[in-house]
Amino acid sequence: MKQRLIVTPDLCTGCRTCELACAFAHSVKGKPGRSRIYPLPTGKHEMWTPVVCLHCDDPACAKSCLVDAITRNEETGAMELDNDKCVKCMACVAACPFGCSLHDAQHDLVVKCDLCGGDPVCAHFCPTKALTCRPVIPTRRKAVV
Amino acid sequence: MVSLTINGRVVQANKGEMLLSVTRREGIDIPALCHHDAVEPFGACRLCMVEITKAEWDGWTNYVAACLYPVEDGLIVQTHSSKVNELRRTVLDLLLARCPNSPEIRQLAAEYGVTQTAYEEIPDADNCILCGLCTRVCERLGFKAISTVGRGHDKVVAPPLKEAPPDCVGCLSCAQVCPTNVIQYEDEGNKRTIWNKSFELIACKECGKQTITRDFAEALSSQRNIPEDYFELCDECHRRELSVKMGSIVSWSREAAS
Ligand code: SF4
Ligand code: SF4
Ligand code: SF4
Ligand code: SF4
Ligand code: FES
Repeated sequence: MKQRLIVTPDLCTGCRTCELACAFAHSVKGKPGRSRIYPLPTGKHEMWTPVVCLHCDDPACAKSCLVDAITRNEETGAMELDNDKCVKCMACVAACPFGCSLHDAQHDLVVKCDLCGGDPVCAHFCPTKALTCRPVIPTRRKAVV
Repeated sequence: MVSLTINGRVVQANKGEMLLSVTRREGIDIPALCHHDAVEPFGACRLCMVEITKAEWDGWTNYVAACLYPVEDGLIVQTHSSKVNELRRTVLDLLLARCPNSPEIRQLAAEYGVTQTAYEEIPDADNCILCGLCTRVCERLGFKAISTVGRGHDKVVAPPLKEAPPDCVGCLSCAQVCPTNVIQYEDEGNKRTIWNKSFELIACKECGKQTITRDFAEALSSQRNIPEDYFELCDECHRRELSVKMGSIVSWSREAAS
């Protein structure tokens, strides 16, 4: 089922647990990967917000990828990046207007949030429920007569 | 779905899928230097050869390039039989004569027990194995800036007329996919140089960090309809901009509620 990762900035304390959970969940050969989520200060009321891929309806990352390495997983709704297809041109890193396509320098891979295949690990670990995960319920629209 | 046996283990695969993608998914390490998932299989390096047979083949076997061979129901595959390893050794022996100085080829050859080529080493060898991955990827990107020129002994990868390629945008994809890392480039200051052509690297207007060249960004804007101002900030400053916006939205909604 399509998932939505719900971010509630009011609740984020900036503890960075999500970052750690994400890095470990995306380990490469036993070494933690680069976190795909970034809790950042908002500059207001000492408030923080986790910044993470929005899995846009019209994603700049996928549009900029000339080899079609970024595609929508229809099951989870996530925009996923296929590292076997990626030629590391950095177009998506430059194009995402929210900075959510990233270069993992340690593993020399281009990476982004994949909603962990439909069950985001960050949401499980967030102690304050600033991150939660809910299935997308298709909205019913009234028929226009 | 089809069902086949690889090294004695029964595995499932999708119809039409190439053998190499199945072995990769199963975590079996087969050398495949000329293959990349961004482009169609090409079958140039012959390192991915495997042994195949079927129950009804009466003990006959065949040797095929895994990157080019679509899976079939009932196929029985050996990826590292002594005959297969022998074939790979021969290929590596030849590659070693062509690229005696390539660390990547030397290491792979050593893994198969070849440390010295039985053939005559090519004088003034560069490390190019002529797999054409760079040119095929550049073509897939739509730039077609480089190609293989010449034939046989004189065949090399080069831009047209061996001059700075007019269609190159400096994206570095060719250098990234080259299995022997032969394609040289340099990033210095705000300049990138590859194939004897210089490019301006776009500097983030907040912090100066550089990600791609101006030529590449312009190509993406015009071909893929990506607003040019998306390229003005780097990924890090884009994230910061979003968090600040979030702060404004939340404080606005708090004020509205009070
Ligand atoms: S784990 Fe939760 S509270 Fe902590 S930084 Fe991440 S989102 Fe904020
Ligand atoms: S990486 Fe960026 S452009 Fe792509 S879906 Fe996520 S937020 Fe949108
Ligand atoms: S870096 Fe990889 S995923 Fe991103 S645009 Fe280039 S090829 Fe596509
Ligand atoms: S750097 Fe130039 S030659 Fe290499 S893939 Fe990009 S456009 Fe083609
Ligand atoms: S990878 Fe199959 S022939 Fe090169």
